[in-house]
Amino acid sequence: MKPLLMILPLLLTTAAVAQQTPEPKAIIEQAELASYYAGDDGRSAARMLITDAQGRKQMRQFIILRKDREDGGAQDMMVFFSRPSDVRGTVFRVVKHDDRDDDRWLYLPGLDLVKRISAGDKRTSFVGSHFFYEDVSGRNPDLDTFRLLEETDDHYRLEGSPKKPEDVEFTRYEVTIAKDSMLPVKIEFFDGKEQPYRRVEALETDTIDGHPTVTHSRVQDLRNGGETQMQFRFISYDLGLPDDIFSERSLRNPPREWLNLRDD
Amino acid sequence: MRTLLLMAACLTVLSAPAQETDEWGGDDWDDGQWDSGWDTESSSGPLVTGFAELGLGTRLESSPYHDRLTLGDARLRLETEHYWDGVTFDIKADGLYDAALSKWQGEVRELSAQFQISEDIDAKVGRQILTWGTGDFLFLNDFFPKDWQSFFSGRDDEYLKAPSDAAKLSFYGDWLNLNLVWTPEFDPDNAITGERFSFFNPWAGQIIAPPSGINAVSQNGDEWALRAYKTVNGIELAAYGYWGYQKSPEAVDSLTGRPYHSRLRSLGASIRLPLGEGLFNAEIAQHDSLADSDGVNPTIPNSQFRALLGYEQEIITRLTGSVQLYLEHNQDHGKALATSPFPQWEDAQNRTLVTTRLTWRNRTDDITLSLFGFYSPSDDDGHLRPRVEYRLNDQWQFSTGMNLFFRDQSHSFFGQFHHNDNAYLRVRYNF
Repeated sequence: MKPLLMILPLLLTTAAVAQQTPEPKAIIEQAELASYYAGDDGRSAARMLITDAQGRKQMRQFIILRKDREDGGAQDMMVFFSRPSDVRGTVFRVVKHDDRDDDRWLYLPGLDLVKRISAGDKRTSFVGSHFFYEDVSGRNPDLDTFRLLEETDDHYRLEGSPKKPEDVEFTRYEVTIAKDSMLPVKIEFFDGKEQPYRRVEALETDTIDGHPTVTHSRVQDLRNGGETQMQFRFISYDLGLPDDIFSERSLRNPPREWLNLRDD
Repeated sequence: MRTLLLMAACLTVLSAPAQETDEWGGDDWDDGQWDSGWDTESSSGPLVTGFAELGLGTRLESSPYHDRLTLGDARLRLETEHYWDGVTFDIKADGLYDAALSKWQGEVRELSAQFQISEDIDAKVGRQILTWGTGDFLFLNDFFPKDWQSFFSGRDDEYLKAPSDAAKLSFYGDWLNLNLVWTPEFDPDNAITGERFSFFNPWAGQIIAPPSGINAVSQNGDEWALRAYKTVNGIELAAYGYWGYQKSPEAVDSLTGRPYHSRLRSLGASIRLPLGEGLFNAEIAQHDSLADSDGVNPTIPNSQFRALLGYEQEIITRLTGSVQLYLEHNQDHGKALATSPFPQWEDAQNRTLVTTRLTWRNRTDDITLSLFGFYSPSDDDGHLRPRVEYRLNDQWQFSTGMNLFFRDQSHSFFGQFHHNDNAYLRVRYNF
């Protein structure tokens, strides 16, 4: 009887918290963990269909390996390109830091060159697509301030405003986060004229190894036209990726056993 | 020229069916199409990729040594990779009609087998492209062969690197990583020899362009190259060693007058790290001319100390700039001048170079403008490399640019090439 009595206030407190809306920053941090830190590591094949404003199409295909050094913090990532043929064998390596600029390298197989890339604007095209580097590796929540615009039964809608507006091309953005998965399902960026000019959307999500995962997403350029769709397949989490595959060795000699595409 | 036109026709024909069979083509981007497009290990046999390319380059002013064509390439590249029983086989081969030299050429750029010897040791054996060091178009510790003719004629940057026939062992340890490259038979640079470009020869006392090229004495000895490296908190540290020969035939046999590659040993080190908003790198190398360690023999290059400082930063969004400061210090310079038959043409004791690179990409990442410049304060000469690249789609790429040389005197490193200013255009179809 006594232990139950001790648990009771705990249960009551939890219930009370659940009914209360969390702080906007806490929602964003949960969404960041759900989007970029699912499991301790992960692998996925991805392909992009890039359609420009004139309707011309391009493709990219690659495999992403990711391992977290700490949840919500430093992270290792490698992107192995297989298509189109002119980028086949190219490998992009990132060490994401939360306290300083990311370390980035690009391996160019034609020259056997490990090119280090200086820290740059992360809101520029990722391999010619409408996705930005920041969409692929995640925007640090500390860069923006947030306020809750709306809460419904199944989603939160928040507004993010940059702390340093001079560093970014948007004045604010609105992000819709699904309550069940805590995944952002839609983000719209606004310019100084209050016009939305860029939209990032999750078109399909799935639960894989217990982790809600975006399997099909799209970025639209609402101002100039054109869009990029990205699809993921062969997704798996908690593979036990060894630390040492995130290294220069894997640029020149990709870790084949971890890149073998199959549905686990 | 007729052959080139024929190749152009082939390029057009080649591109047509490939577009139709593109398995990603059309609007098939729904779930039902998943299996067709994914390039999985089990579903695909050895995939052959490559490109066809036409390149044309012309001198910007007439030269007394050559006709106008500096680049006339009709090239077909085929490459494939095959994995079998723990071994990755790579093949990259080029077939080429070179209209500037009026000859057909075949070049295997890669024919290698890569495999793991133990958990910590990889090996790669065969023909391969090898690169290390931190310089941008400046090489202090990278003694793998370069193709300077390609570099100055406007071919893709990839062709600056010539293949090595070598065995490379890589050891990955907790404290240190090591690469050891053994090249059983010396691989020289493809230096400027006269077939395509004119250059200054101090023994001739003038600019020359021997039509059949310079016939250097071939060197059969082996080469060893070693790199030890480690990355600590984003700081890349490396030490280098090389035992082999001067990559360009700078020594001259006093009996036959033929150029040859004299013995060379080099030790060096480099560092590369993020600094401020950008990247900083520094590299040093001590080149010991083993055949003339006292520096008294005028027919053999002197020992040199080389140093490099570099910095690169994104200046504004999508515009990156970099600067390199480089020094070649000729040791025993006094003795060299005293014994030289042509002291007026000897290098200065300290040859200095400043390079800058500006690269701009457009918002959609399909146009790249770049400008690479070399300027030597000590020689008062320089070299400018403007280039525009346009990627129309996944198949078609266009590049155009110029190689321009500036001089105060005709015998300095860049000054000697002043008859060779050229502009080029390349069209590539990837498949």
